[in-house]
Amino acid sequence: MTSTADVRERRRILRRALPRFRQVLPGMLSGIAMGLAIVALLATSAWLIVRAAEQPPVLFLTMAAVGVRAFALARAVFRYLERLYSHDAVFRQLASLRTDVLRRLIPRAPAGLTDRSRGSLLTAVVTDVDELQNLSLRVVQPIVVAVTVAVLSVAGIALLSPTAAVVLAITLVLCGIGATWATSTVAGASERSLAPKREELASAILDYVQGFPVLVHYGAEAAARERVRMADARLTRTALRRASGFGLSAAIIALLTGLAVVGAISVGSTLVMPDGTGGPVFAVIALTPLAIFEVIGTIPVAVNHWRAVRSSADRLAATLPEELPVEIPREGGAPTGTSAPTDTRLTLQGVSARWPGAEENALTDVDLVVEPGESVLIEGSSGSGKSTLANVLVRFLEYGGSYRIGGVEARSLGDVHATVGLCEQHPYLFDDSVRQNLLFARDTATDEELLVILDQVGLGDWVAARGGLDARVGERGALVSGGQAQRLSLARALLRDFPILVLDEPTANVDAARAGVLLRDLITAATSTGRSIIVISHDDVPAPLIDRRFSMREGTLV
Amino acid sequence: MRPLDPRLLRYARSSRGFLVLGAVLALADTLAIIGFAWGVTASLTHIIDGASWQELAPSLGGIAACAAARALLSWGTEATGARGAARAKSELRMTVLTALPRLGAEWLENTQSARLTTLLGHGLDALDDYFARYLPQLIRTAITLPALALVVFGQDLLSGIILLVTLPIIPIFMVLIGLATRTVQRRQWDGLNRLSASFLDVVGGLSTLKVFGREKRQIDRMSSITDDYRRSTMAVLRISFLSGFVLELMASLSVALLAVSIGFRLVDGAIPLTVGLFVLLLAPEVFLPIRQVGTHFHAAAEGVEASQDAFEILDAAEAAPEPQCASLSASGDLELRDVTVVRDETAVLEHQSLRARCGSVLAITGDSGAGKSTLLRVIAGLTPHTGSVHVGGVDMTAVSPGERSWLSWAPQNPALQAGTVLSNVTLGDPAPDVRQAERALQRAAAGDIKLDRNLGTAGMGLSGGEAQRVGLARCYYRAQRFGAHIIVLDEPTSALDRRTEQIVARGLRELAAGGACVIVVSHRPALVEWADECITIGDRAEVLV
Repeated sequence: MTSTADVRERRRILRRALPRFRQVLPGMLSGIAMGLAIVALLATSAWLIVRAAEQPPVLFLTMAAVGVRAFALARAVFRYLERLYSHDAVFRQLASLRTDVLRRLIPRAPAGLTDRSRGSLLTAVVTDVDELQNLSLRVVQPIVVAVTVAVLSVAGIALLSPTAAVVLAITLVLCGIGATWATSTVAGASERSLAPKREELASAILDYVQGFPVLVHYGAEAAARERVRMADARLTRTALRRASGFGLSAAIIALLTGLAVVGAISVGSTLVMPDGTGGPVFAVIALTPLAIFEVIGTIPVAVNHWRAVRSSADRLAATLPEELPVEIPREGGAPTGTSAPTDTRLTLQGVSARWPGAEENALTDVDLVVEPGESVLIEGSSGSGKSTLANVLVRFLEYGGSYRIGGVEARSLGDVHATVGLCEQHPYLFDDSVRQNLLFARDTATDEELLVILDQVGLGDWVAARGGLDARVGERGALVSGGQAQRLSLARALLRDFPILVLDEPTANVDAARAGVLLRDLITAATSTGRSIIVISHDDVPAPLIDRRFSMREGTLV
Repeated sequence: MRPLDPRLLRYARSSRGFLVLGAVLALADTLAIIGFAWGVTASLTHIIDGASWQELAPSLGGIAACAAARALLSWGTEATGARGAARAKSELRMTVLTALPRLGAEWLENTQSARLTTLLGHGLDALDDYFARYLPQLIRTAITLPALALVVFGQDLLSGIILLVTLPIIPIFMVLIGLATRTVQRRQWDGLNRLSASFLDVVGGLSTLKVFGREKRQIDRMSSITDDYRRSTMAVLRISFLSGFVLELMASLSVALLAVSIGFRLVDGAIPLTVGLFVLLLAPEVFLPIRQVGTHFHAAAEGVEASQDAFEILDAAEAAPEPQCASLSASGDLELRDVTVVRDETAVLEHQSLRARCGSVLAITGDSGAGKSTLLRVIAGLTPHTGSVHVGGVDMTAVSPGERSWLSWAPQNPALQAGTVLSNVTLGDPAPDVRQAERALQRAAAGDIKLDRNLGTAGMGLSGGEAQRVGLARCYYRAQRFGAHIIVLDEPTSALDRRTEQIVARGLRELAAGGACVIVVSHRPALVEWADECITIGDRAEVLV
């Protein structure tokens, strides 16, 4: 991640993760107030005790005694407020962060996301977005607070003894540099390799959990478990190296705290007069460094968090750059006003298309005209470009040449999805009820309408047997078979009543006998409402159901 | 969360040595703290008394030496804690993973895989805070706190009494607030899980949502879900942070109380300055460990909550039936007698009997949902059932799924693993045979797929049809290499075109001609035509779909 474009992309994501100044201000001010209270508490206590030892009238001590109690109280109160305000600001930002990631994902799905496995999407989205929350909470705020408190404290000491202030400032800077160096170089080197190792472990676990029956049957379960153990061991080794770096930074802080006190005592001793006066001020100068070092101890931790946040931002920037690949259609075009053109003749002229990252076109020079109400079959073997065509028709993929719907170029059409629908090869079912899986197609539909549609796709009895529309379909449709998933997907498309419907391999998982019935139902419905149908299949479709048939070979229609 | 979870300690036996080492380091650190405070006190009083630099040198040197010692000890503490945590986490992770086989495939299928993957990966990582920070800090508190309190007592009785009164109040408050937040913590963890599941569901179904123009709506939904999460989390945090507040308040007020009381007694000349300064420097150190326990308590609680999910799995595994009996070698026909499978109180398969002969291909058809896949899983021993499975007349019902060496099964979802095509085709073979793997690929109409091709998680990088054929080759390889004579295939050609399907069908015939007993579940007439025999299951009125 060195190129300027990448850095710009990272910065854009980081900016999105940072709450607005107005939102972080209360937390930040509380933090500074707390830090100052810590320093003031120790300074006042030291002054009080040494002054008291000089046995002045008690009256001279009451102010200090009140101050000590007040600072103690302030420390706890401001700490509580700081944590509350800063967390609230971060959580407010989380919604915007999540939706931003979703917004970047949307134009890419599905054609621009084919190289991401589910496991790494899980890591990328959940972990990285969570990590980005730390930007304000654990990076920006602690550093701003610590530096402000340190500067103000040094300034305060300078009022008492400029030389002591210089000594203190030097040790503070040395400590900041040393501890930051330890975390960034020693711990940072291992930190960078931590994320890929974590992903490796997640991938091994995912393969194990999802492939479990197969692994058991093939006698490979122990080996797969061993793979998890090895990934775990590699992750552990890296984590330990990192911990060692943290230890080093803690050690540097402890050492320099001691040296700062020694320095402050040596320099401050000149304030003590031969007659013994000046003792209280000397005690303040000698002991205050202890409190200041406590406050700036948060900096190395913050620097470490910064590195984690930065690499999460880099990962998100790499997966989801603002710039879309050229193979992916841009949002929009001109809004049509009338959502669906009245003329739904579909014309392809010299259409070509390519998958993101691919060298060659998957589709070349395709000519096709589908009249309203017509049923067209496109046959071909796997890899011939049939699914690419389906992706072009619903504008998941960008195309070359001309693709017109009712005479309007699809590229300039605001919403192709109002006209052209798709039943996917692998229909996605949401982990919800049958009702919810249908309703999002048309949320005004009544239960009666849903049941009629389910009957049309041959799922009426099945739904009744499972207790009606509230039956759940399971995670990724785990509780329904492949054929039932296809039927539900068809039901959704019927419910939406698309003028043009693309069926991508609808019979892949449906038994042959019912596929015929289903297609017949569909075509009957289509002719009554003027719907065109494009069936893409490697299976044969009985002749009376289809008006025209084409064959696809190596990306062209023949 | 309880301050100490005995189960967590029991499962993480190997971290104990590190905890002991941490205790030794804590003891040494306590001595260094006392030395440091004494050195500072001595130097200060010497200077105020107008002592010479010669008199001052030992105490200044002492400060530096103690600081160096503390530096070394804090590095050691960090390293020890991290090591202990890593051990504990790995041990728990592997214990859970080892328990999964006992629970079986059926249990695993009923669990959300995303949830399980999160738990075993990210979820257990939350235990870092428990083992590397919270627990060592608890031990440290047990050592440093009494030691320092004792030193203060020895120096100044009144200061000691103030500590004795204020210290116990802190744990009492912590327990009270901890009790109040326990159920809320649990809910929050559940909420986090739901949030990640719903995010993943939206991401997974994005293309479907786009087809229906519903993707924009998800943005609002995600936003409102996250906002709900913020509200509920903030409600928890307001209380959670309260315990931190009480800690801070008690600690700093106690120190203030001490300072003021020492100050007024110094005016009276009741105690010397040496004692006053020394106690003032030690007092915050008395509270520091207990404050840090509080800091780590809530972070640790999240890890402990995650570990509860792991314990639930371990408990379930303990309650699961004993492992089944070992391998029985057999040859001859496969026979199912009166097999019934009940899932969620619904009969998926009822009183099914069949016989598959060696040297022939048996096709099984039936409507989707009729239980065809379940039937094959019964043969593989992955689904609990009544009735029995026989091979060559030997009852195999009780043989574990991993011991059915007479069987080679190709499920509908090939579930390929990260690695090469070769490692997938030769899955479970300690000594892969490249030539046989090539032959298996060819028979599965996958001769065009190179053996050294690299695959990602879940076989990423292959198309659906390619993955299916690699899964088929894997099945053939096992059959040939280990002499599994019963071959069962679940929809082997559902993603293949007709020409490829013909090649696969010819492969099946070859296997049967070689004496194998081939059972193929399919709804494709072209494939069924090649079979010697075809049976339809679930052909009853109550199973319509």
